[in-house]
Amino acid sequence: MQRWTFHIALCLWLAILAGFKLLIRPPMPASVLTIYMVLVTLGIMIFVAANEARFQAFLAPLKAVFEGRAPKLVQALVLAGIPLLAAWGTWLRTAPSYDAPFEARVVHPQPPLAMQLSGKKLNLAGLQNPLRANAADLDKHTVEGKRIYYQNCFYCHGDALAGDGHFANAFTPIPANFRDVGTISMLQESFVFWRVATGGPGLPKGAAPWLSAMPVWQNFLSEDEIWKAILYIYAGSGSTPRTWEEAPKK
Amino acid sequence: MIPRIFLIAALLASSAFAGDAPKMKMESVRATPVAADPAAGKKLYQRWCTQCHGDEGKGDGPAAEFVYPRPRDFTLALYKVRSTPSGQLPTDHDLFKVISEGLPGTSMPAWNKYLSENERWQLVHYVKTFDTLGLFKDEAPTQRIAMDSPPQITPVLIARGKELYQSKKCWECHGKEGRGDGNKADTQKDDWGFPIRPVNFTKSWRFRGGDRIEDIFRTFTTGFNGTPMPSFVDAIPAAEDRWALAAFIKSLARPQKTGQVLRAIHRDGDIPADPYAKAWEDAEFVDFPLAGQIILDPRWFKPAHDVITARALYNDKEIAVLVEWDDGTYSRGDGNKPADQVALQLPVTISADEKPYFLLGDKKHAVDYWRWNAKDGLARFAAEGATRMSPRETGALAAQGGYKDGQYRVILRRPLKSGKEDEVPFEPGKFVPIAFHLWDGDQGEEGLKMSISTWYYLLPQPKTPFTIYLWPLGLGFLALGGEFWLIRRVRRKEKPA
Ligand code: HEC
Ligand code: HEC
Ligand code: HEC
Repeated sequence: MQRWTFHIALCLWLAILAGFKLLIRPPMPASVLTIYMVLVTLGIMIFVAANEARFQAFLAPLKAVFEGRAPKLVQALVLAGIPLLAAWGTWLRTAPSYDAPFEARVVHPQPPLAMQLSGKKLNLAGLQNPLRANAADLDKHTVEGKRIYYQNCFYCHGDALAGDGHFANAFTPIPANFRDVGTISMLQESFVFWRVATGGPGLPKGAAPWLSAMPVWQNFLSEDEIWKAILYIYAGSGSTPRTWEEAPKK
Repeated sequence: MIPRIFLIAALLASSAFAGDAPKMKMESVRATPVAADPAAGKKLYQRWCTQCHGDEGKGDGPAAEFVYPRPRDFTLALYKVRSTPSGQLPTDHDLFKVISEGLPGTSMPAWNKYLSENERWQLVHYVKTFDTLGLFKDEAPTQRIAMDSPPQITPVLIARGKELYQSKKCWECHGKEGRGDGNKADTQKDDWGFPIRPVNFTKSWRFRGGDRIEDIFRTFTTGFNGTPMPSFVDAIPAAEDRWALAAFIKSLARPQKTGQVLRAIHRDGDIPADPYAKAWEDAEFVDFPLAGQIILDPRWFKPAHDVITARALYNDKEIAVLVEWDDGTYSRGDGNKPADQVALQLPVTISADEKPYFLLGDKKHAVDYWRWNAKDGLARFAAEGATRMSPRETGALAAQGGYKDGQYRVILRRPLKSGKEDEVPFEPGKFVPIAFHLWDGDQGEEGLKMSISTWYYLLPQPKTPFTIYLWPLGLGFLALGGEFWLIRRVRRKEKPA
């Protein structure tokens, strides 16, 4: 068994690399992979070196190659392989790449304190959805909101509110997925109102307002209709808004 | 609307006809695994389907006006994707498959992402209850078409399929190259009286029946009920021939290849003016998906185009972009229809951390807008938003374009640099934002009624410099040197022993 220490170590290393590459989805970034593989290499080396006999067994095949005792073919393969691997590894790092430049974009920027709605000023601090006040009419408003959603929003945000409407793939950034816990369920309704009413162009600079296809809905919908649509996107995606009480203190 | 009684008669006649044409191998229909629970079905339907198919299944929900093709009216029980002969009803498994996998290329979603198997079976049962003629009760299919496993696809098979495509006149509707531009393509109507266009075979990702060879075989074996797309079992009775035709149609497909960057490759000589020249055919292409312009008023919900393909080349003097797209109709602004158009949008100046608004720019950031029109050719605009577009001199910008076999190819070219402030300079290695707009005049598209993309990048890719090979070579030789040093060392140590 000890005779094969080197081969086992090599196979183990390759198997772990293959595991990282093939089994983990989405694929991990190259830099992370490098760190993991350095750790794996260290781990294997420490295990091998912990026992003198094992270490010698590990070195034996390497020595055989360098001392010229290994079969000629193995010698040739190893001696030619190492420089080729080194060259190839460097090429992978230095070869020019023409990927699109990475653009950082804040998805949920700090909302303003007040916004313009059809010419009038609306304070966002403490703003509640007025349609929730009367619980008796909530269902009626939600049904109205559903109609508004399917006449205006579902092309992008999708039938099941998952951000995958039939136009969604033409837009970068992609339309928000309302079923995802990272969107409307972690936002206050006032924030959502601001986003819907002012759309992509209403975003601050850090959120790349020039990229978002989200329309400016105050151009098409009344204040009331926007609130109704918001009722529906929560009801339809089975989520609830974050309330003012839950908001993190600053 | 067509009188209902007429439709019923047509339906009965066609199913009766299909009944005595048993040219195909049939097999019995598989049992339905889940029993109906009408209350559950109704609830699911109202939650997920009414917005398109309507409360009473008439295909008239609030979203129906805004999608093309229209959502199906279930009351006449006409179904397209089936495993049963022409004119017959679908099996429960057929409906289950459509509801689960959706209809690609339409707004009908694949519900297997959101609804459990049991829920989808309930919807199958519920959709059948809209059948006002009671057909599912009286004529529920018991037999479906048995399909052998597909033959090996070989060039010989495809060539045979091509002959059949010619002799059976598929091209009359689907066009010579299969781009849906046949001479009968413009006049087709479905049984509901709506205009309908033959499918473009190169866009196989939009096949509603699916794009595996088995799917294509099934589609034209069974035909799409309610449409001018007939069953071809009578015209092409031999199954081998239908497999050959399916193989040919599959061979026309050109899968999409999307990306964020359109790379222009450097050429030493001139950039050919002929869009069919080899240099262009060899240039790498990128498909950019398009959506209807539903952001500014007037919104356009039912765009004709869903993709534009681009290639780019540059030399030491100029850069050229070739855009190509399929259009079944060649509209040059005759009659009262607008002409087909394409536009490329670039920023006027590049800033490191800001771009103009992706749709025609904004007050602070203008865009340079190059538009080619099938009637008037090239026009150039500066835009600071949709309402602030002003024509500008085309200058050294040039365009040539044409239409052939259902496809446009247009080349737009410009010197790399003019030295002036009013247009972006192109430099190897520098990314330039680019966006695309497309119009189909035949569908009445003009102005903001168009298909749009968001920002992508155009990159003149630098010639690969020799120096980038130095590092790998250097490290390779270093490793080689190290090896020799080690060998010499160990062997010297060995010797005395
Ligand atoms: C043309 C496509 C399009 C349409 C139509 C559209 N949206 Fe959006 N929407 C987007 C895109 C893209 C984003 C993500 C980028 C962003 O945050 O602006 C987005 C983001 C949002 C967000 C922000 C979610 C978050 O987590 O910050 C809300 C809320 C929203 N949309 C609601 C709506 C509502 C309500 C409608 C209909 C009245 C609608 N959208 C219609 C494209 C669209
Ligand atoms: C966004 C709109 C939309 C929604 C929502 C929708 N459909 Fe459809 N559906 C369509 C369209 C459009 C077609 C017809 C496409 C065509 O004719 O090519 C269709 C066709 C169908 C067909 C007929 C398929 C055939 O082979 O002819 C069935 C069955 C169907 N839908 C079931 C459903 C069910 C069940 C739901 C709810 C879970 C649903 N649809 C929700 C748009 C929609
Ligand atoms: C009379 C005109 C006409 C002729 C001739 C015709 N088709 Fe079609 N075909 C259509 C139309 C229209 C559609 C689209 C139906 C729809 O939108 O529901 C279609 C659709 C199809 C599809 C469906 C793709 C999908 O969405 O799944 C296939 C496959 C097809 N045709 C194959 C053929 C073949 C093969 C032939 C020759 C044997 C042929 N067609 C001849 C009009 C025609």
